[in-house]
Amino acid sequence: MPTPTFALSTPCFSGHAVRTSVTLTMGVFSLIIINKAGGLIYQREFQSGLRNLSTNDYLVLAGTFHGVHAITRSITPKIPISQPAPSPATSSTGTTAPATSSYSYPNPGVPVSGLDYLETDKFRLTCFQTLTGTKFLLFTDPLTGSVDTIIQKIYELYADYVMKNPFYQIEMPVRCEAFDRHLGAWLRGRA
Amino acid sequence: MSSTKTSRIGEEIWKTRVDKVNAELVTLTYGTIVAQLCQDYDSNYQDVNKQLDKMGYNIGMRLIEEFLAKSGVGRCANFRETADMIAKVGFKIFLNVTPTVTNWTSDNTQFSLIFEDNPLADFVELPDDGRAQDELWFSNILCGVLRGSLEMVSY
Amino acid sequence: MAVPPRHATMQSISNGSTAQGTDRPQTQQTQQAQLSQQSPGLRVPSNRKTIYDRHLNRSRNAELSRASFAFLFGEMVTYAQRRVTGIQDLEKRLNEQGYPLGLRLLDLLFYRSTSTSSSALSSSSTSSSPPNRPLRIITLLHLIHGPLWRLLFNRAADALEHSVSPDTPNEYMITDNDPMVNTYISAPRDMSMLNCAAYVAGIIEGVCDGCGFETKVSAHNQPTELWPSRTVFLVRFGDPVMEREKVLERAGVK
Repeated sequence: MPTPTFALSTPCFSGHAVRTSVTLTMGVFSLIIINKAGGLIYQREFQSGLRNLSTNDYLVLAGTFHGVHAITRSITPKIPISQPAPSPATSSTGTTAPATSSYSYPNPGVPVSGLDYLETDKFRLTCFQTLTGTKFLLFTDPLTGSVDTIIQKIYELYADYVMKNPFYQIEMPVRCEAFDRHLGAWLRGRA
Repeated sequence: MSSTKTSRIGEEIWKTRVDKVNAELVTLTYGTIVAQLCQDYDSNYQDVNKQLDKMGYNIGMRLIEEFLAKSGVGRCANFRETADMIAKVGFKIFLNVTPTVTNWTSDNTQFSLIFEDNPLADFVELPDDGRAQDELWFSNILCGVLRGSLEMVSY
Repeated sequence: MAVPPRHATMQSISNGSTAQGTDRPQTQQTQQAQLSQQSPGLRVPSNRKTIYDRHLNRSRNAELSRASFAFLFGEMVTYAQRRVTGIQDLEKRLNEQGYPLGLRLLDLLFYRSTSTSSSALSSSSTSSSPPNRPLRIITLLHLIHGPLWRLLFNRAADALEHSVSPDTPNEYMITDNDPMVNTYISAPRDMSMLNCAAYVAGIIEGVCDGCGFETKVSAHNQPTELWPSRTVFLVRFGDPVMEREKVLERAGVK
């Protein structure tokens, strides 16, 4: 288990060097997990930062975000292009049907993602949707770096301590002590 | 994605990102599950096959998250790419084998996976009761796993 | 408990003849079952390689993903849970699943310890076959704490203790600070007493029984702050074992 280390020993990121120690310790406010039907299945605060919402408000937030996310996906421009642009992704198999490259969006293999993040002066909401439709919403300080790395790690912890727990029922609220413990320990270790 | 690139991804993940356990523990645990089912279903092997498929399906719905989280791969462009991904990344990182993809139908909707090596069945001999060898599909759990995991990514 | 049929076959395997020079792919087991050979009895795969042609140490250092184990074990737990009346019943079922593994692993341990080195697990070798079975409790427990744990989990167990209470001289404790089988499992709050390492307790029980030590083994949660899933395996030997132990002690058998 990694012992918590402080501020400057953590991987730094460019641009915010001066604020490194501040942003890393104050980086992650909270996490929400939404199942593929739009239901809230996990909500946890890691430090005071965002103001508290009632449970009901969190449910509304999850459902609303789910809906908005779906709309942003459906309004993603799908612009027809006359000539298939040379795409590095399709250079290999040779079996890709030519029809798939006649639109600039979506590119095969790069699905339309919908709303990726939402930012205010005080916080940033990053959404990561897995290919199975589960959404991880991470609330961070706007200056927190490597949010993608954090979310990726959270996804791995979820695959380990939620999905491999025989007492967890898929799509239901996440109540897994080991997930809480490892998530907390990892985020503290980063701080 | 090219076939060789897919292979490399599988190899790389297996080598660097997969926590390992003794293979015998896994094989023996799986054997115990099948033996228990044969006992519980009174050697009605059709029922055992069905139950194995169901268990696999449950596993598949969960295992897909591990696959995606560990591999970081995106959506496949077509079914042939999916087949390659299953064989060279999926089976590689979970069972350290790479089955051969073959027997494609002309409409590209069906293929077979051929295993030269099957760790689940290592040192397994089916019951000598005159039926098991015809009726028991010892590794049927794998079919369920594929069904469950593909369904979660909308196949 | 009846010895499973495959148990007997494992012992007889010693040195399989090496592969018979064919690279033909061995078809998947499930497909073999569908091959239309009409002869009754056990079938030989098309490439003529049976399990007896493979060396038992072939899988000795083989590794699989821990995730695969976790998923299979999880299904075992889920399945066991379907027909149980409570936590104790569930643990009993998991214990029963581990038991046959213990019997098999015991033979594998002996096979490997005798074929690789002559350093005995125990001293007595009066009978020619199979040598080196532990005769005394402490030798047996060391076998479990060390070689068995290393075979299963690639490391020794964390502690081995004898009950200090004069009322329970037949009780021993094997501690694992972080049992691999429980790594990803969080029992629901209303089942906080549950310890799925009952499966491992069953394995231990199988090893002890296979050695001729009648035993009951159970797994208990003993968390510490540092080791939240620390587990103590309580090994309780039966009265006949304790009586025999006294006789052997007097006879100076080690």
